[in-house]
Amino acid sequence: MTLRITGGRVYDPANGVNGDLRDVCLRDGKVVDDVDEHATKIDARGMVVMPGGVDIHAHIAGPKVNAARRLAPEEHRGDPVDRTAILRSGTGGTVPSTFVTGYRYALLGYTTVVEAATPPLAARHVLSELRDTPMIDSLFLLLMGNNVALFDLMRQDPARVRDAVAWWLQATGGYGVKLVNPGGVERWKDGNGNVTSLDDDVAGVTPRQVLEAVATAVHELGLPHPVHVHCNNLGVAGNWRTTLDTLKTVEGRRAHLAHLQFHAYGGKPGGTMRSKAPELAEYLGAHPELSADVGQVMFGSATTMTADAPVSARLREVTGGKWVNADTEVETGCGIVPFTYKEKSYVHALQWGIGLELFLLSRDPWRLVLSTDHPNGGSFLSYPKLIRLLMDRDFRNEQLKRANTKAIRRTVLLDDLDREYTLEEIAIVTRAGPARLLGLRDKGHLGAGADADVTIYDDLADREEMFATPRYVIKGGRVVVRDGELVAALAGDLLRVAATHDPAVEDVLRAKFEEHYTVQFDNYPVHEPWLLEPARSVSAEPAA
Amino acid sequence: MPSRERATCAGCGLVCDDIEAVVGDDGALERLIRTCPLGDAWFADRVAPSAPLARLGGREAELEAALDEAASILARARAPLVYGLGRTTCETQRAAVALAEAIGATIDPAGPLLDGTSGLAFQARGASTATLGEVRDRAEVVVVWRADPLTTHPRLLERLRLPGGADRELVVVDTRRTATAEQADTFVELESDGEVEALWGLRALVQDENDDGSPLGALAAQLRGCRNGAILHHVRGNVEALALGALVRDLARATHVVSVTLRHEANAAGAEDVLAWQTGYPAAVSFATGHPRANPGELSAAAVLERGDADAALVVGSDPLDHLPPAAAARLRAIPVVTVDATDTATAGAARVAFTTAAPGVHRPGVVHRLDGVPVPLRAPLASERPSDEEVLAAIAERVARAREAAA
Repeated sequence: MTLRITGGRVYDPANGVNGDLRDVCLRDGKVVDDVDEHATKIDARGMVVMPGGVDIHAHIAGPKVNAARRLAPEEHRGDPVDRTAILRSGTGGTVPSTFVTGYRYALLGYTTVVEAATPPLAARHVLSELRDTPMIDSLFLLLMGNNVALFDLMRQDPARVRDAVAWWLQATGGYGVKLVNPGGVERWKDGNGNVTSLDDDVAGVTPRQVLEAVATAVHELGLPHPVHVHCNNLGVAGNWRTTLDTLKTVEGRRAHLAHLQFHAYGGKPGGTMRSKAPELAEYLGAHPELSADVGQVMFGSATTMTADAPVSARLREVTGGKWVNADTEVETGCGIVPFTYKEKSYVHALQWGIGLELFLLSRDPWRLVLSTDHPNGGSFLSYPKLIRLLMDRDFRNEQLKRANTKAIRRTVLLDDLDREYTLEEIAIVTRAGPARLLGLRDKGHLGAGADADVTIYDDLADREEMFATPRYVIKGGRVVVRDGELVAALAGDLLRVAATHDPAVEDVLRAKFEEHYTVQFDNYPVHEPWLLEPARSVSAEPAA
Repeated sequence: MPSRERATCAGCGLVCDDIEAVVGDDGALERLIRTCPLGDAWFADRVAPSAPLARLGGREAELEAALDEAASILARARAPLVYGLGRTTCETQRAAVALAEAIGATIDPAGPLLDGTSGLAFQARGASTATLGEVRDRAEVVVVWRADPLTTHPRLLERLRLPGGADRELVVVDTRRTATAEQADTFVELESDGEVEALWGLRALVQDENDDGSPLGALAAQLRGCRNGAILHHVRGNVEALALGALVRDLARATHVVSVTLRHEANAAGAEDVLAWQTGYPAAVSFATGHPRANPGELSAAAVLERGDADAALVVGSDPLDHLPPAAAARLRAIPVVTVDATDTATAGAARVAFTTAAPGVHRPGVVHRLDGVPVPLRAPLASERPSDEEVLAAIAERVARAREAAA
């Protein structure tokens, strides 16, 4: 199938195209330089053309997400989705069913999504759900920050950590490596409370050692995405020092910080929270090897779900409501607490303000990209509103007036922070930037050879409406959304990394498995073709 | 030379994946290594099924004719019911949910009925749980609450390395001295019908930090005092489930205690997982209005059958005539039933159309979610020329779709 998108204003920042009127040509699932006159034409005059959106950090599949679904029947009851001739039925809310997750991402113009926290032991479950999540290409990050088998290696045989990480990625179909509260979850699961500093002891290692060992392994393996870190002390007043300490610890290696907003708090632990967004924005700006996604909170309903189980146990005491905790042997924890962010709450308004500060003070949109840590800070469905907050100063100032005044005064948002994101910058923080940070060379741009994932918007003054209802979404060269309606259903690809390991590490790991796991080593790697195919591999590129 | 093939036993919720099947040169199973008596029986029931691949009205039939009849029954039904799912793979469960959606059925896994808890307590308050390895390696106190795993999950204690010597305590709480109780360090006897009261009493004892000298008082002190504990249970009903959840939640303020439901079927957890990810709800889901709607009180299989609402049923990997309440079972006998299973059952024997397929875990691979939710691969140590249950469901779905198209 060939397509020519004509007459639109094209925003393709990776290729230096900034609102130029030009055609975009698609053939056989790829962007090409030209197509012949028989190609189907899409008239995009008066419209804005961008690459398909790329969500660098969301929670959409796996046991944690599914437990959250089971926890929210009232949300689902209020948001049913009918079966049609081409679509499966389902339910929405902050944690939609799998089919609805895929459909709604597509309706929003997103075509690639990262599931940011997969327990390796649950890879088969995550893959099964991703197979039932249509429309989008997906990839997942493996939780490796509280893995006691890996801790053993760090202590006894550190040279093998790199091979073990590569083996784990290969065994599961994973794309990258995630650290969540390194060491803290293991310590908490063992009944010893959370860690508070990078130098606390956890089973003979420290969070700092875990950070160093895994960041080094990822760096040496040359994985396309650097180590993806959810720092220790999430949500705690004063945690910005831990965040800075983390960044200094991984110095010399690339690193991506997840949901930076949740780690940008001043004040004393247990005391009043302050904003340290300016300091962290400054540090990030000055260190080109670092990147982050914001983890903006949006007022309204959310579902917090995290491998950082001690945080959920704390939140449980705040809400007094539903709470799920689930410990996964060897590897990780999991906590879920439904949550509502309220404008009038000091803490919630400050969190909201800190997210906006990070965006507005960011010097380099390529390295500070958009996320709500869906559904932790809010659903991905709130991205259009967030975009409007960034692009429309008057709208933002209106919203600022409605939020807790004391909290907003603690931010720099009232200090003539009049920046408005341009369409080019939005294209960077929602597609070009995330794709580059993930090392997905075929995503996030419209140069020849890129995947034919394209979103076309009406150029509306109301940016929220514009980004909520794309006119066309094209996935792999097929029109899947037309005039805001899904017109085709298709399955996405799994994007996985290809990294090699010394096979000798398998014997070492086999012994660890017998000691630590209740599944057999030979049954652990995913081999089922129906879970792994179709997939595309992105090769690791070890430094020479 | 006989060969040794890796196998996974799906005979109960433990899903032991360290089994070996010794297979002779003729492809026949010679013996199994590391299975328990339950596992031996599970394999024996499936290795060479006694029932033919397809039956119509109890008589052997051509596969095509049986598929046509099954599709015709389900396509014609005004209010079909899809039931079971716990004894097959997640792949087959996905196919079953898709078919249920296509025919506007109500779908309900057997697990809630067999395991005594409908998930309402989870929806209301959540839960704190863990995988088996966490229990094995960390729990200093393991409480078995009203369950007899030595009978229902014979290898559970072995796999958890229990009884575990001086630094680990196995406590059995039940209304009678079970086989498991004989292995325990401590047995606490409950009055019959006093379970919920006992749980509330335990809560009070935990909150007050008050050891009143009673056996429950001692248990409360043990749980409060341990660094890590686990309660493995088979509760009966939502009130007991809520009370247990509340106890675990209270304990979480003082220490790290989790609870694990000892689910009976190998893939009871998977059935609810698949249904939840495809619809948002784990059980008792109706597609009658074109989108999923759930309500355990109204839409559970037992409720639907007892009201006389279902006018046809598709039973997958389950034997409901063996476990449904009598009124529901009576209704099931009165309506046309299609069964898809890897073994012969009472329900299949009474069904209008019965398929006895190749067996997941014996002849076909697949994935099941163990009682603690861990996905475990089933293997296929033996060959079978029969289609799988997933293939039979796909063939029925294809016929239903064709019938719909023709009618449209």
